[in-house]
Amino acid sequence: MKRSTGLLLALSLTACSAALAQTTVRVQGYGGQDPAIMQRLLNEVIGDDLQAEGITVQYEPIETDYNAVMTNNLSAGTAGDVFYLPGEVAPGFIATGRVQPLNDLVDTEPFIDALLEVYTQDGQVYGIPKDFNTLAIFYNEDLFDEAEVDYPNADDTFESFAEKLRAVRELDPGIYGACLSADFARLGAFAYANGWQPFNEDGSVSLQDEAFVDAFEFYTGLVTEGTAVQPSDVGAGWPGDCLANEQAAVAIEGAWILGFLRDNAPNLAYGAAPMPRSDETGERGNFVYSVAWAINADSPNQEAAVRVLEALTSEEAQQFILEQGLAIPSREALGELDYFNEDDPEAQANRIIFEGASDGNVLGFQFGNIGTDYMTPINNAITAVMTGQADAASALQSAQSELDAILARAGAR
Amino acid sequence: MRAKQQEVVAAYLFLLPFLVTLGLFFLYATVRAVYFSFTNYDLFNAPRWIGLQNYVNLFREENFLFALRNSLLFSAIVTTVQTFGALVMAAVLNQKIRGLNFFRAAFYMPSVTSSVVITLIFLWMYQRQGLFNYLATQVVNYAPQLGAFALVLVGLQALQVGLERARGLPARWNDPALFVISLLVAVAAAWLLTFLGVLVPRGGVVDFVWLQTRQEVPGVFPTFLRAPVPLIAIMIQNIFTTIPTFMLMFLAALQDVPKSHYEAASLDGATPVQQFFHITIPAVQPVTFLVVTLSLIGTLQMFDQVAIFGNAVPTRSVITLAYFVYQRMFPGAQLPEVGFASAAAMFLAALTLLIVLIQRRFIRSEAS
Repeated sequence: MKRSTGLLLALSLTACSAALAQTTVRVQGYGGQDPAIMQRLLNEVIGDDLQAEGITVQYEPIETDYNAVMTNNLSAGTAGDVFYLPGEVAPGFIATGRVQPLNDLVDTEPFIDALLEVYTQDGQVYGIPKDFNTLAIFYNEDLFDEAEVDYPNADDTFESFAEKLRAVRELDPGIYGACLSADFARLGAFAYANGWQPFNEDGSVSLQDEAFVDAFEFYTGLVTEGTAVQPSDVGAGWPGDCLANEQAAVAIEGAWILGFLRDNAPNLAYGAAPMPRSDETGERGNFVYSVAWAINADSPNQEAAVRVLEALTSEEAQQFILEQGLAIPSREALGELDYFNEDDPEAQANRIIFEGASDGNVLGFQFGNIGTDYMTPINNAITAVMTGQADAASALQSAQSELDAILARAGAR
Repeated sequence: MRAKQQEVVAAYLFLLPFLVTLGLFFLYATVRAVYFSFTNYDLFNAPRWIGLQNYVNLFREENFLFALRNSLLFSAIVTTVQTFGALVMAAVLNQKIRGLNFFRAAFYMPSVTSSVVITLIFLWMYQRQGLFNYLATQVVNYAPQLGAFALVLVGLQALQVGLERARGLPARWNDPALFVISLLVAVAAAWLLTFLGVLVPRGGVVDFVWLQTRQEVPGVFPTFLRAPVPLIAIMIQNIFTTIPTFMLMFLAALQDVPKSHYEAASLDGATPVQQFFHITIPAVQPVTFLVVTLSLIGTLQMFDQVAIFGNAVPTRSVITLAYFVYQRMFPGAQLPEVGFASAAAMFLAALTLLIVLIQRRFIRSEAS
């Protein structure tokens, strides 16, 4: 009798542990609205399949400075098994040696090449882009109708675009043509259209290049002449605010603005157009912003981590993200979706942003091993000119010397 | 004897939790940081000894020199203003006035508010279309009215006091009864002149850039003595939030000053201002020492407000030593420069110690 109870107990224990043989995979990413999206993605799209394979996914959002926290986590060995790898800091993270190369683990074939390139170093792919974004012109249809000018469209050049903005500006002293932030992450697209490159072949940067100066003067000139306004000068947090509040007719943003407009300006009649072409080269310019999924090289659950990464970048997951109006999928095949042809402003905008990645001079939002430090001197120069404290030539000169110093310091190490 | 030993053991047992935390998070961390400051440690690769190289590099770094200047200016100006301000405010709140408790609570409010919240509120007030520029615009636009108001006020008060004295009556310059009359007449005069169209509000908007600027003032000073405008903005905010804390300390000290001293002084004909300088200030000297020390340490290590202003301002205009350390510890996309950051942190610690030692020579810590 005693023995059989023991046996029974042993048996039931084995049964229990089989059912409990779940590997928990920790996934770390941004805070903000991402935890809610991830939870829905897990609950509604990919969670059940993973569960059946014995994998539980646990999303750990990082609410503060993601890059700083993640650097600490990686060095201390407390990073998640799978984590976000933002494109602009990818070289730095890869240099730590704690990001797992994925060539032999994941099929990289279905993903857009330009995106994979951002996460490739020495022929090894270190991150699978989860989605991406580019810039487009978002405009308020009513304001353009009222001003009796055409909406911004695919044929616009810098000059014709500016003319349309000036016409809208005429309407009312409280309404600006565009809301422009003092940010290289916007201005850079205009410089790229002019054929300018962020780095020369020898790794130096030339802000005095005519192509850059021209774009710089165009962008800041819209503000100094009063056609456009900085968001902070009309009490707005970012250009999306200006557009939603009808303080400006145009904002240059990516697909992230769609969800915001849906919540904050549900009655706004808006449309999207591709970035204008350069008057000089006839090309468009654009940034590709992306974040990838990467695997922690020190993770004890490598196999499970790969499975989770595959699920997170699967077609079903990407379709879900797309339909939430958050970002554009990174799989080439999803470009063929019927969704992009729907007659709905959001779908139309998403199509333009998807096409933005392959039209003209498009570069990844990445600045080598100095990361976003690259933008700081340029942003300061944009601000100085937009607020009327310096002229373009002198502002660019001091930005150039600061940037040279930053590059020299990074190169010396 | 055994009882005595037991007592000692018990004392150490009670101290133990504190000693462990102190040892782990202070002593151990400090020793590690000192060691790292002589290496090229980057969190990921094993540290390599490079001697004094980090310390030499500090002075070749432009941002470090800006940080050093900003920290010293910030510390000197803020400590001076807030110590004096706190003392004056404490002296005022030490009077017997109506609603004293309300004022004490109200003035203490800024200190209990989170510095993040305060900074966000100030960020909003410093905007180009923010509260500060709005008030300045109003002052500029209504300068004629304000001028007329002030002229009438002072002139009428002088006239009334003069008349009273001519009649042989003792009247002080700030006699309240006469002042009320002057005030009412001045308001009426300013309003009437505006109503009649004699004084016209001037147009114009004050468009002073508080934050997004590299302007440094005053322009006539040599570079290392100029304060960047955004740094001044942070100074104003910092003074606003820390005066109340120090005021509380002075207030406690003032409660101990015997009232008889003031009574004796006023019998001898000392004015309130003379009493303040000759009785109040000497009497609270030990507390002044404490306040100045705390303020120097706090201001030299100021970090949070710069961090929250963050990208809204050009870095070099507001960078402080503590922020410089943080920036090097968590740079954009590069590997952290732990060795370099540690060297900067050691420099900051040594500088703080030095400045506190210097000020000890000037303010005695005990009342004579």
